[in-house]
Amino acid sequence: MLNICYGDMPDAIFNTSVYFKNVYEDNWITDAQAKEMILDIDKSEVLDSGVIDSPVLGKIPATNLSGGVKTLILIKNEPYKVFNASACGDNCAKWILKIAEQQDITINLRHLMDFGKGVFSIRILNTNQIVHSMKELIPIAGHFV
Amino acid sequence: MTGKYRIIIQNKRIRYDFEIKRNITIIRGDSATGKTVLVDMVREYYENGVESGIKLQCNKSCVVLEGRNWKMQLASIKNSIVFIDEVSGFVSSKDFASELQKTDNYYVIVTRESLSTLPYSVNEIYGIRNSGKYGSLKQTYNELYQLYGKGNFLNEVRPDTVLTEDANSGYQFFYTICKKRRLECISAKGKSNIFSYLTKHNVGKILVIADGAAFGAEMEKVIKLMEIREDIVLYLPESFEWLILKSGVIHDSELPAFLDAPYDYAESSKYLSWERYFTELIVKKTQGTYLRYSKHILNEVYVHIEIADRILENMENINLYWKDSCHGDGDILTDGRVSHDNV
Repeated sequence: MLNICYGDMPDAIFNTSVYFKNVYEDNWITDAQAKEMILDIDKSEVLDSGVIDSPVLGKIPATNLSGGVKTLILIKNEPYKVFNASACGDNCAKWILKIAEQQDITINLRHLMDFGKGVFSIRILNTNQIVHSMKELIPIAGHFV
Repeated sequence: MTGKYRIIIQNKRIRYDFEIKRNITIIRGDSATGKTVLVDMVREYYENGVESGIKLQCNKSCVVLEGRNWKMQLASIKNSIVFIDEVSGFVSSKDFASELQKTDNYYVIVTRESLSTLPYSVNEIYGIRNSGKYGSLKQTYNELYQLYGKGNFLNEVRPDTVLTEDANSGYQFFYTICKKRRLECISAKGKSNIFSYLTKHNVGKILVIADGAAFGAEMEKVIKLMEIREDIVLYLPESFEWLILKSGVIHDSELPAFLDAPYDYAESSKYLSWERYFTELIVKKTQGTYLRYSKHILNEVYVHIEIADRILENMENINLYWKDSCHGDGDILTDGRVSHDNV
């Protein structure tokens, strides 16, 4: 289940890039799903845990991945922590939903991320309501961002 | 600071080329489009100059504001273009909004958050897109694109209700027009109440009229609501005062220049948003004339049919029609004020 707290959340880790830089582990990068996310969002290929081939930036370390991918990797690997997922663009939304299918996660959003036209289950923690579509989500979450 | 500024920044692999023309520009959008890379390049050039291997072309100094000591750093930045990356949580604070008003800089802020403490324009919210390769085949060329372009209504809009952002002259004008035409007009009493009103009311077509020059923070959620509701139409002139100035009812030889290039006249340290600039401009240009304008109480002359029609004609494809075919004179008041129930 995906739980979302909208708006300001002092306990959430806001600067996900700094946190990632200091805690990530090599196997987080070489994990099959992480490789898929990196390819999908950053259009980059993981060569090994220390080298990623970016079509724009060349060979880069994991710390130079996009803020969105780094946040996704954190959400996946530290599900007991709450991260500021507004570091993720809408192109990360489907991956957040996928990770939430595998394990319960809670994220903090400070904007209205677009979770697409499909059906999903998201608990909005601000009101403790479960919504299943953007049509249900927007009128509730919009009050908190 | 006034003017518009083209910024070209590039290294061997990536090139950005864009123009900014207001004190606050917002960059957001998908992940991995190069927002942080842009800010990193500005920082590296500022710290190392040409030795960074980065080329930066701009008529103003470009700097990055970040870290715990942002306030101290900001106090020393003058007449510059200040970049702020999304990891800087202070941008949404009242403290930052307050400090920003004391400066004469332009700001380029990377954030997906709605910065409700800052009055930024819906026209200055951009995404970054890759425009292919530039020069050498190795270099990727990135440009900014407007996320919320100027709304062009393809079909005529005939609202049942008009919802205005303010409770001042703009509301008083539309209220009077709507009352005559038997349409409903309501004031949201502040832009931050518009979303809330829309979620609670769902009867007939609602035309929202707000100041585009300062509506940036509300834009994302209202646009998202419009994606799931077909009964909402958003009309965002720069401001009500801009709408009057643009209509041609005020004759002044300087006005066309002021309206065509406000960025050359609206000093950023004086006007946090162009809405304030246009208000001061119309007050100044109508002083001592029968068109004397006041922000708080509408001069009745603006609802006289000839003038009102010219203002309304400016609202392309929006038809505040005569409901129930009633074309009476309505309630044009002559006591110097517009009288109505909700003000």
